[in-house]
Amino acid sequence: MDPSIILSAIVLLSAVAVVALRNPIHSALNLVVAMLGLAGIYAMLGAHFLAAVQVILYAGAVVVLILFVLMLLNLKVEQASPRDLVIQGLAVVSGVSFLAVAIPSVAQRFGSFPSARDVFVAARGPEVEGTVKNIGALLYDEYLLPFEVASVLIMAALVGAVLLGKRRRDTAK
Amino acid sequence: MMTLGHYLTVATALFTIGAVGVLVRRNAIVMFMCIELMLNAVNLAFVALSKTVGNLDGQIVVFFVMVVAAAEAAVGLAIIISVFRARRSVDTSRTRELRL
Amino acid sequence: MELLILGIKVFIVFNIIMGLASFCTWFERKGSALIQDRIGANRAGAFLQTDILLLKPVFFAFRFLGVLGVINTLFCDAVKGMLKEDFVPKGTSQFMHSLAPFLAVLPIFVAFALIPFAPDFVVGGYNIRMQVATLDVGVLFILAMGSLAVYGVALAGWTGNNKYSLLGALRAAAQMISYELAMGITFVCVILMYGTLDLYEMVTAQQGGSLGVDRWGIFRQPISFIVLFIVGMAETKRGPFDLPESESELVAGYFTEYSGMKFLTFWLGEFAEIALFALLLTLLFFGGWDIPFVSLEPGSWLTALIGHAVLMGKVIFFCMLQIVIRWTLPRFRYDQLMALGWKLCLPISMANLLWCAAMRLV
Repeated sequence: MDPSIILSAIVLLSAVAVVALRNPIHSALNLVVAMLGLAGIYAMLGAHFLAAVQVILYAGAVVVLILFVLMLLNLKVEQASPRDLVIQGLAVVSGVSFLAVAIPSVAQRFGSFPSARDVFVAARGPEVEGTVKNIGALLYDEYLLPFEVASVLIMAALVGAVLLGKRRRDTAK
Repeated sequence: MMTLGHYLTVATALFTIGAVGVLVRRNAIVMFMCIELMLNAVNLAFVALSKTVGNLDGQIVVFFVMVVAAAEAAVGLAIIISVFRARRSVDTSRTRELRL
Repeated sequence: MELLILGIKVFIVFNIIMGLASFCTWFERKGSALIQDRIGANRAGAFLQTDILLLKPVFFAFRFLGVLGVINTLFCDAVKGMLKEDFVPKGTSQFMHSLAPFLAVLPIFVAFALIPFAPDFVVGGYNIRMQVATLDVGVLFILAMGSLAVYGVALAGWTGNNKYSLLGALRAAAQMISYELAMGITFVCVILMYGTLDLYEMVTAQQGGSLGVDRWGIFRQPISFIVLFIVGMAETKRGPFDLPESESELVAGYFTEYSGMKFLTFWLGEFAEIALFALLLTLLFFGGWDIPFVSLEPGSWLTALIGHAVLMGKVIFFCMLQIVIRWTLPRFRYDQLMALGWKLCLPISMANLLWCAAMRLV
């Protein structure tokens, strides 16, 4: 069996677990499993650098941050009320019906690689592998401006997060 | 042999699961995790399409989406912590001051 | 056939990891004892006698090892750990309590898959590289596994269900993710120096050199070595950075609610991480299996064996250095620790990166 099928199954099952489990820490751990599964799929698709960045960034930093916040806030498991059940039921029904319509059409439309390639503009050259060297060459040559803008964005987010997280000592409650 | 349709199907399913999660859950942090699922679904679609088309533009887009998601995670969780300090709860059904 | 070679490589690497971790455990007990002006464990197995003449040398060897404390550390501790009562604190999920040791240890063991242990050699027509997985993103993968090691620590403290464990876990996790930044930037400096991410090619690039050692990493980028050494000790929560598990203050930090085999698993993971950092330092900065002024015939299995022995000698030196530093220096206070990570190591590693990039251009 192709490893991609197993990885896709792992990703989807853990995604359902993220949504369905009551304890938020269990949800966070299942999110880690989903991220790692996706990293595996990226590696199988030849995007090696992105697989490594997915593990370092998502599984290793974003979910750790989420886990930190969960442990610091020490939340209780959420209780359900009847009004919420109606909304939740409606949401699940609409999601399932959307999937029932979307998946067959997507699978049938993009079923095979050659026909999908005809749909899109012809490739710019021979197929490039997603190695660190190739992505680095592209990132610093053609996408230099978005790269610099992204670094400014990260700095803005850093300053914002520190500022929002600080306790204000002057306004006493 | 994995086809593009397979990966796009997984991406669609993942996105829908994330969207349903945002609607179903009331805990702000779990809603945040479902938003991360949606972003990852989009990343998967981009990577699969980049492999189809043959060049690396899709993977560069994924790189930037990851960067933006990380920045959003930091600021979003800081906001959630501030809200928690103000009202001792992250239950979104209890924050109804702006509702009609 | 390829699968068989891979299986043999995995088996060999696993044995190397367990051997290095066991050596570190033994040296921790005996070395710390000698530093603290006491003798340490020397009773178990030191009194074995036999009357059978043929077995006398064997029993002598056992008595020798027993006096050195080896039997005490490797055999008695293991048996004690396996036979102790294994409990789960009330009020937490048993599954997560049992999962935490695995999560702490698994990334470290997986990171060993990227490490080359000997130069290439040719056996029966196959060119064998003693590296379990040759990935395109070598050093980045090790960084990724270091990021994943935070989960075991955080989960261990959380499932302890008491404030000491939680405090220890949060401190440890914050420390690990703070020092990962400096580690990542130092790795970028090293990648700049060698122009490749693959560890095997990094070692190959250090061989040769007119003065024997002048192509070694330590002489080309000494600041990177110093920063990586400090950051490595902080990542493994060893040495002066071991406040999260500070034995005299937080009971046992995030280990508090663990006993028996699970505790030994954490311990094993910690020593395996020491071995991993010693290996990284050796491969990146000290030439790996390179012997200065000696060039051996490439491709023969004898070269591989000698290279492996040289590598293990250097790694054991660095393991012993880390253990001796741990027992020599007093530990940092937590705010001093975080200040060191954010205000000292990070700016120094960034300045180092600028300097190395400028040196590449010149």
